[in-house]
Amino acid sequence: MSPTRKPRKPARPTAKQTPRKANGSRRRSQAAPRQYERFHWPQRVAHALLLTSFTLLGITGLPQKYAAADWAQAMIRFFGGIETTRLIHHTSAVVLMLLAVYHTVDIGYKIFVRRVRLTMLPGFKDVKDALQALLYNVGIFKSRPQMGRYTFEEKVEYWALIWGILIMGLTGFMMWNPIATTKILSGEFIPAAKAAHGGEAFLAVMAIVIWHMYGVHFRRFNKAMWTGKQTEEEMLHEHPLELADIKAGLAERPVNPKALRKRRTIYYPIASILALAMLLGIYGFVNGEKTAITTVSPFSTPVVVYVPQTPTPLPTSLPTPTSAAIPGGPLTWDGSIGVLLQSKCGLCHGAALATNGLSFATYADVMKGAQDGKIILPGDAANSKLVQIQQAGGHSVELSSDELALVIQWITANAPEK
Amino acid sequence: MSKDKSVFFLKVLVFALGIGLLTLALAGMAQPAAAVTPPVAQPGLTIHQAADNDACLSCHNKPDLTRSLPSGELLVLTIDKNHFSDSVHKGLNCTDCHTTITSFPHPDPKAQNLRDVSLQFYTICKTCHEKQYNLTLDSVHQKALAAGNTNAAICTDCHNPHTQTQLTDSAGHVLPEARVSIPTVCARCHSTIYDQYKNSVHGSALIGNGNPDVPTCIDCHGVHSIEDPTTAAFKLKSPQICAKCHTDPAIMSKYSISTQVLNTYVADFHGTTVTLFEKTSPDQATNKPVCFDCHGVHNIKRVDDPVYGLEMKQNLLKVCQRCHPDASANFPAAWMSHYIPSPTHDSLVYYVNLFYKIFIPTVIGGMAIFVISDIVRRLIDRRKGAKHA
Repeated sequence: MSPTRKPRKPARPTAKQTPRKANGSRRRSQAAPRQYERFHWPQRVAHALLLTSFTLLGITGLPQKYAAADWAQAMIRFFGGIETTRLIHHTSAVVLMLLAVYHTVDIGYKIFVRRVRLTMLPGFKDVKDALQALLYNVGIFKSRPQMGRYTFEEKVEYWALIWGILIMGLTGFMMWNPIATTKILSGEFIPAAKAAHGGEAFLAVMAIVIWHMYGVHFRRFNKAMWTGKQTEEEMLHEHPLELADIKAGLAERPVNPKALRKRRTIYYPIASILALAMLLGIYGFVNGEKTAITTVSPFSTPVVVYVPQTPTPLPTSLPTPTSAAIPGGPLTWDGSIGVLLQSKCGLCHGAALATNGLSFATYADVMKGAQDGKIILPGDAANSKLVQIQQAGGHSVELSSDELALVIQWITANAPEK
Repeated sequence: MSKDKSVFFLKVLVFALGIGLLTLALAGMAQPAAAVTPPVAQPGLTIHQAADNDACLSCHNKPDLTRSLPSGELLVLTIDKNHFSDSVHKGLNCTDCHTTITSFPHPDPKAQNLRDVSLQFYTICKTCHEKQYNLTLDSVHQKALAAGNTNAAICTDCHNPHTQTQLTDSAGHVLPEARVSIPTVCARCHSTIYDQYKNSVHGSALIGNGNPDVPTCIDCHGVHSIEDPTTAAFKLKSPQICAKCHTDPAIMSKYSISTQVLNTYVADFHGTTVTLFEKTSPDQATNKPVCFDCHGVHNIKRVDDPVYGLEMKQNLLKVCQRCHPDASANFPAAWMSHYIPSPTHDSLVYYVNLFYKIFIPTVIGGMAIFVISDIVRRLIDRRKGAKHA
């Protein structure tokens, strides 16, 4: 992952052999069963963190890209819903960004202070190596390429990762901070960032599955990133040029302790400022803008639901109430009382129904009374049953007090017909 | 009667009976799957049972037949014979529903006010319309009623039993003239909502032109089992309501409206979130917008409406700013306005996608070639017993 680290300690002898990969180097590896440190422990820790954050980003990100798919929804449900999924994704992204800051500072130290050989830089030889490997595989070339500290396969992976982190960081920032982004760029950049983020994610995961997993898991389970060590045989097999350099004492450039100290005093303050700036950048990334309000229901002012139309339409067309009007004719049956009593009482006590034998249809009918006797005693309103029932209240239909007064007046006047 | 004659008579009788039975059977089959369970004769009726409605109408056709209730309100007892004979219930006896009227004079109604009268009566609808009645039991109206709000609509508020005409055809589809009248029914209680609706793109087309394509109230809210539209669950599933019509090419092609509106919404951050909430936690409250948050609820306007249309960037910005108060003029373009990226619309997104469409197969393909060639080589070498250099 980074340029050459350390002088390899002339490692302790080990009995461990790798007969599985037996090849031309067997004789020599038996002669010198040595181990070489390939990755110093901070690199291994960084790799473990990278592995964790990358995996989390992948498994929480791809379901968001393919949110319509059943498998994606099952995964999101497993993480505890989309909001938790996003939280895990964002947290992992922050871890990855911190890792990138660490790596930048670390690389700076190696380049400017230790002045190590830049073994991770790609060169023309890597193109040649790749071509030779391919031609060897298809049987045109007779031998595999001989490679140094980092093979072309490892370089592809490292630089793909750098490219990926830059793209993902940039597009991730745009999606995380769309308001800040659109202050400078056009709005279209947000969906474009999303498209790039998704495309790059798919590419990265596929590359890890195909390139990385095949290269270090399936072809040969390479434990160097965990143990930090490789045997001489493994070195000879995979990094023969580096092994040769080590043996020739060329892998490590000589360091002048005085110059080293001087360079450190320059680099440390610069690196501190740089690191601080980058950390502030990450803080801004995460907390830079308040994209949206967080209240749940901001949209509409509450709707008043029940606003009945006035007047509320009645089930049937409302008749014009006429019964309230007291006929204004003379105080006789024909003049006013007949019309009044027929309209008020005639429904039940009319020619058709004549409830209880009582009908208000004609003057004669009224004066005849009901089955159980007369209802009107001319001149004696108080004892007339009509008046008694109406005064008692509770009858199906009740005369208004004005109407009743009129009827009492009429009876008192001997209830004249004409 | 001679023997021949009587045999002939029998034959005719059998034939006639056969024809009669066949007609009955066919009539039974031809009967539409009615939503109505035929009324059963109510036991206990004595006076009016089987009596024709004329007896009732002899009094109840009087125009000013009213009765004052303890509340002071006037209960109108007049039935318009003409309206009734035009209604779907014309074949029923008054006493099929007015089961308490068994004699004359009628028993005193125990209602205190007009609302009581309706509330005491409406459950009788269940006798024939059990399915619809049961649906209403889950409705927002019944829930409000159960909570003590007597204003909540019951059967008779929407369907006057004495005047209700046929609403559906034999297949159960709402008749065109009935569709047009639906909003005016809801408007009786929801008048301010109706005022918004009638000026909306949908309402104006329905009320003005009787357009059969636009939704009337029940197309979104349902009928009888009308759900509370203010819940989180309703909001989450509401895009599907709009999508019923807006993803239907048969309807949308008439108006040159894209049928990709749902897809493009779901593909975006807001729509993805809402869809996932609906799938994983349907009661989750969310402030992510659904269709109606941007387009309006009852007051939906055309997108090219000069005052409200979302096609105008300044209108859209105002809508965005409801949730994104700091949004600037560039911000609304972050939403692709239901367009699918193409060289003419959102070309940047289109070309990014195109890049990855080429870049991914190139890179992955190249890696695969290496890996496969390496596997093949190793297999061959192993078979040969050769050793890797």
